[in-house]
Order: sequence, then C-alpha cells, then structure tokens
Amino acid sequence: MRLACLVVPLFPLAARLRGEPALADEAVAVCEGNGTAARVVAATKKARRAGIRPGFTLPQARALLPNLLARPRDVAGERAAQEALLDAAGTISPRVEDGGEGLAWVDVDGLSRLFPDERDLGRALIAAAKLESLPARCGIASSKLAARVAASLPDSPVVVPDGGEAAFLAPLPLAKLDPDATAVETLSRWGLTRVGEFAKLPAAEVASRLGEAGHALHEIARGRDPRPLVPRQPPPSFTEGVELEWPLLTLEPFLGMAEGALQRLARRLESHACGCVRLDVSLVLDPDGCDTRSVDLPAPTRDVKTLLSLLKLSLEGRPPGAAVTGFSLSAVPDAPRRGQLTLFGPAEIAPDRLAATLAKLFALLGEGRLGAAKAVDGHRPERFSLEPFAPPPPPPERRVPKTGRGLLAVRVLRPAVQLEVLVEGERPVSMRALSGDDAGPAGGVRVASGPWRMEEGWWLDAPATRAYWDVELQGGGLYRVYRDETGGDWFADGIYD
Amino acid sequence: MPALPILPPEIAFQLTTGADLADRERGNRRPATLPTRVPALDRLLGGGLPRGSLVEMSGRASCGRFSAALSALAAVTQTGEAAALVDPGDHFDPQGAADAGVDLPRLLWLRPRALKTALSACETVLSTGFALVVLDLGLARVSRRRFDDAVWLRLARRARFHETALFVLSPYRVTGTAAHIVLSAGDARAAWDAQRMAMPLLHGFTARVFLEKTRAHGVEGRARETHAPLRLQLLDAVNAGRTEENQEKKKIFLEGEEGEVAAAGQVAASY
Repeated sequence: MRLACLVVPLFPLAARLRGEPALADEAVAVCEGNGTAARVVAATKKARRAGIRPGFTLPQARALLPNLLARPRDVAGERAAQEALLDAAGTISPRVEDGGEGLAWVDVDGLSRLFPDERDLGRALIAAAKLESLPARCGIASSKLAARVAASLPDSPVVVPDGGEAAFLAPLPLAKLDPDATAVETLSRWGLTRVGEFAKLPAAEVASRLGEAGHALHEIARGRDPRPLVPRQPPPSFTEGVELEWPLLTLEPFLGMAEGALQRLARRLESHACGCVRLDVSLVLDPDGCDTRSVDLPAPTRDVKTLLSLLKLSLEGRPPGAAVTGFSLSAVPDAPRRGQLTLFGPAEIAPDRLAATLAKLFALLGEGRLGAAKAVDGHRPERFSLEPFAPPPPPPERRVPKTGRGLLAVRVLRPAVQLEVLVEGERPVSMRALSGDDAGPAGGVRVASGPWRMEEGWWLDAPATRAYWDVELQGGGLYRVYRDETGGDWFADGIYD
Repeated sequence: MPALPILPPEIAFQLTTGADLADRERGNRRPATLPTRVPALDRLLGGGLPRGSLVEMSGRASCGRFSAALSALAAVTQTGEAAALVDPGDHFDPQGAADAGVDLPRLLWLRPRALKTALSACETVLSTGFALVVLDLGLARVSRRRFDDAVWLRLARRARFHETALFVLSPYRVTGTAAHIVLSAGDARAAWDAQRMAMPLLHGFTARVFLEKTRAHGVEGRARETHAPLRLQLLDAVNAGRTEENQEKKKIFLEGEEGEVAAAGQVAASY
C-alpha cells in the first residue's frame, strides 16, 4: 500500500498563527506551563534567529530577546487545526488516518490515474493544507516510517520508490524507529547504531531475543510496516425529510408528517446506539424561502413524543410565516449516558429513562425551570443558579445519613412581596402585602428583631442595600422582611417554615 | 466421591460463604421507609416516609412543613439516592438546603409556573425512579373542584407502582382518600432570646405534629403515638452547640408559659 504522510512542522505555532496570522513576522514563542516555569514549545523564525530554542524557559528566552511575544498553547485552536488538516487530506483521498498533532496518514493507492507522478500528488496535498493556512510537508512511501521520515526532509514532497524503503531507512540512527527503553539498551549492547545494521539481522533471531515487539520493530526497519492504516470514520448523518404534495397551512397535519420522520430518525439512532441531543429543522416555504431552527434537548433521547412536543412548541412560539412545502429534520447524535449498577449500593436511575424524563420536563416547563440547584457566592438571600441535572453515580455501598440537624428553613419568596409597613422609629409595628398576596404577611407585629444591614455590589449601577428584620406577627407567622435603603420600600422575602 | 481439598488458610480467609453474602445483601437491601431525620416525624410515620406511598403534611405558614421536607431530602440524598422537588411556589433556597445537608447534585429542582403543570411534572418524575419526590404546594389555594381525588389517586398509584415516596406539603388537607398517611402541624411558637429584649434574637420555634390518618400498622402491643413535638433551630444556634437541655431551661414562649428563662440565640445564617 502506498502511503502519504502529511506533517505540519511546529504544529502548536502553526495552529496559533492560523488564528493570529499577523504574528507570523513577529518574534513569537508558544509556551507550555505557567509563570517562570513556562517552557518554549515552538518559536517563529525571527525568534529562532535570536537563538531561542524549544525547551528554553520563558525567562531564558526573554533574556535573549526582551521584546519576545509569548503565547500559551491554544488547545481549541490545535484541535480545529488538526480537523482542518484531516479535512484537507480528505479532499485528495477518502482514507485518512489521524496521526495526532499535525500529522495525517493518507492512503494514496489507486490515485495514479489522477496523479501519474507521485510528486504531483504530494504537491496537491501540500496545496490543500495551505488552503487551510497550514504549512505542511509531505512524504510518500510504502511504509509509515519511511513516509514520516521522508516528510521531514527538505525539498518537500519527497517520494521513496516502492521497495526502496529499506535502503532509504538504512543510514538513519536507531532512535528514528522509536524503540522502547529495553530494546534501546539491548540494541546498544549489541553494538548497533543504524537502522540498516539492525535490518540485516536474521528475523527469527531478533524475534526470539526481543519478542513480538522486537519483531515488529525489525519489520519496520526493513521497510515493511505491519501497522495498518486506520481510516477516520466521518460521523454518521441522521436526516429525514419529506417533500410535500401540496403546501401545508396548519400545524396539525404538519406534525402528523413530522411524527413519521421522527420515528424513522429514532430507529436509525437506535441502530447506532445513540440519542438526539439537538434537532435541526429546515422548512421549505411556499412560494420560496426557507425557515431553519434548532431545538436543543437537555439530554440525548430517542423518545418520539418528546421530540414532537418540543418541535410543536418551537413552531407555536415562532410560526414560519408561510405555507410549508417540504421539510427536513436532522438529529445531532450523542451517546446516551451509561450507568453501572452496584451490587450493594443504592439503585441508580436508568440513564435513558432519566434522559427521556428530563426532555419531557423541558418540553413541559420550558428553559430555566428545571435542573440541579447550585449555591452561588454572594449575600442576597434569593440568589441561586441552575445546572443541568446529572447526578453522580451512587456509592458502592448504601451510606447511612448523618444525624438530622433540626434546622429551621426559610421559604424564599420569589419575587419578594412588597409591603405597606407602619413603623415606630425604625422598628416595624404593622404590615400588609400591597398586592393582597396570600404569601405576604398581614397584621400587627408581636416581636421584631433587627435591623441587620446587607450591602452587595456597591460598584454596580443597582447595588443592593437592605436592612433586614425577623418579625413574628400577632396572628402567627414568622417572616423575614427588609427595607430597601435605596428606595425606602419594604419587602418580605422569606417565611420561616 | 473424593473429598474436596482443604484450602490453605491464606486463601480460605479471603472467601465469603453464601450465608455471609446473603446477610450482607439483606443489610444493604432497599429499606421500606425513608427516614426524614426529624425525630417527631419518624416516630409518627413508623420509621420514615414509606416507599410507594403518598404522605401529606398540612399546616399554616411557619409550622415546620418546609423544614421537615428539606430534612427528608437531605437524608435521602446523603444515602446516595436521587430525589426531586416540585416547587410551583419557587420557594427553594439552595444555600439553606446545603446547610441542612442536601446533596444538591442529587436533587432535581422543578419550578413549574402553574399548579396544573406542577401536577403533570410530578406524575412524570414519579415514573423515573427517584427515591423521594416532594410536591410543595406552598401557600397557594388549591381548588378542590379542579384538583379532586382523581388527581391524587392517580399520583398515589404512580408512586406505588414505581416504589417512590411522594411527600405532599399543603396549606390544608387536599389529597382526600389517596394519602396513605396524613399529618398536620400546628401550635407553632417562636423562641426568642429574652436576654436581649431590646433586640431579641430568633432562636427557632416549636410546633406539634398530629397524625390525622394512617393506613400503616403500628407495632403490636404498643399504642400508636398520635402527636409529637417538632423542634427546629436556626443554623447558628445549632453551630453554637446548644443542647436540648439548655433549650428547655432557657427558652421563652410568648404564649405566656411561666418559669422559663430566655435562651441565647443568634440570627439565621441565611443572610
């Protein structure tokens, strides 16, 4: 099999410059680590001319070049650049293997009709990578190692003729084979320094002394790569659509058609053991035009009723504005959460059942109305935030709950109930809710304890400055009320219950 | 038949017999009740909230219902099981719940806007496998014409089928015949620190919980308790290590009980 190796030298730097091309002519170093322990990973030509090398600490590099620009590694950018490199290789051949940071293996067998000269093929790969702003080099050979070494040579692309891999690799040092530490020690004891010397040894003797790993290394040294190409599988696409015979003006018949499409999608998702985490909807309108929208789900699900409810809510909330002559529904797949049952611990909720429940509740309650509560740093008692509900796995053994603390809880009033309050000095003596709210206090005050002042966000346009009181009413009821020091209004924001 | 070889001691002691394994599994089996860790409630309920049953607790504002529910949620989530709170009144306080011991990542908080939506959401979560579902009707009026026994019977049946404990908090009795156990809380009295009457500090309160109805069987030979005191304290009073004995000596009841001394208390840490 003929393979091409497409490699981007100084990949962290290339990924960074892809996002900030203006830095290409500057003295820039991409570093890894924090503070003075940061080390240079790659540097631009201008920085390298000043003597900066990979492995230097940032202070060392700055000592050589005080106006050096330092950038951290851009993990997201590198991921995007790797995907772009694989996509670029994919424009030449459909079988591409992801080799990791800035490396792609391409199966070029059968492309001789398109590229009779393999050097032209190599140039096409380099040009495709350049379109993605990635300066790549290319090597073509019949083994991965030979292609990789060829790609590192100047005057790219470099082609190693079929069958010439052994001779091409022979003068290289043994380190190029990337052997493990045990093999390195053994080979150096044998007095071997070059790949060619190692390749000349009898295969059976190498296998008996170095085992299977040594045999594989020996095959690579001889130019025969036992490692197969593992091509990247593009993610499957789940799309179902229908072109309608006549335009649909009302929602109900459209939902009937959509339900059939969703059932087909659910069956296909089931065959791949995944659920839908987002539904992309595209509506073809009459006479022309298109309406696109996305419906997000809190957890992957294949439940057709839930998906249909969410689709219905979306269309009722924002109607397309014209009759629909066709539609397509695309499900973005995601693996459903897996649960591992414990032998002796409490039962876990089945992940797929939980995902279906969360999706139904999301359709019923709307966004921002369900989740796991999270305590928020601050002083305002009504503060809270919601996170997606994803309970941790149950413990391996049922835990014994701690002894109860007998705490008196506060029932928060959201929003706070505005009050009309009669005061003696600062102290409230009587109050009633302005809105007639059932939750609000009403009546004379028997005991009032306060004020306790709370201030938050003095630097904001609307800081909270409150004077709190605990009050017990003559008719019963323990309330937490406050006076807004800014506006002077009174509010009840909690009931001790 | 040849005899089985005797295992070396160093291997034998690592093995478990089938009888030991069965004993261990019985110890870890799902308990039939979920303790609320509120002594008064657990005594009246016969150990805790029974799985697969609807338990209703009614009472006016400031009677201890909400605190009891939070304590039950804390007890369930601490064992590693998940629970849900259907909160149409949006009364839940995450900070206060964390202080009470609720494991927040294991609690699903639902904030429906209307009562009808709350009941639908409750029915949905009952079918999921939560150990405990608390439906807090808050302080709102519940129309008996709109939400009659059929609604509650349906929820009770759903809870029984999925072995989920459903704990309904209501301002007055609403579940009709559907509830397995009905409790009511009343006689609530606040406890203030009387040492500083110029600015008294709220210490907590006590109430009394009454067992209005139960279908559970009591322990044979023992008369079933029908009411119990409910004592609740603010967080700082608990942190200060106040004991029950000190509270009884020092608490003041504004209903006019004589011969009692004020307790030293502190303001709630919820600010």
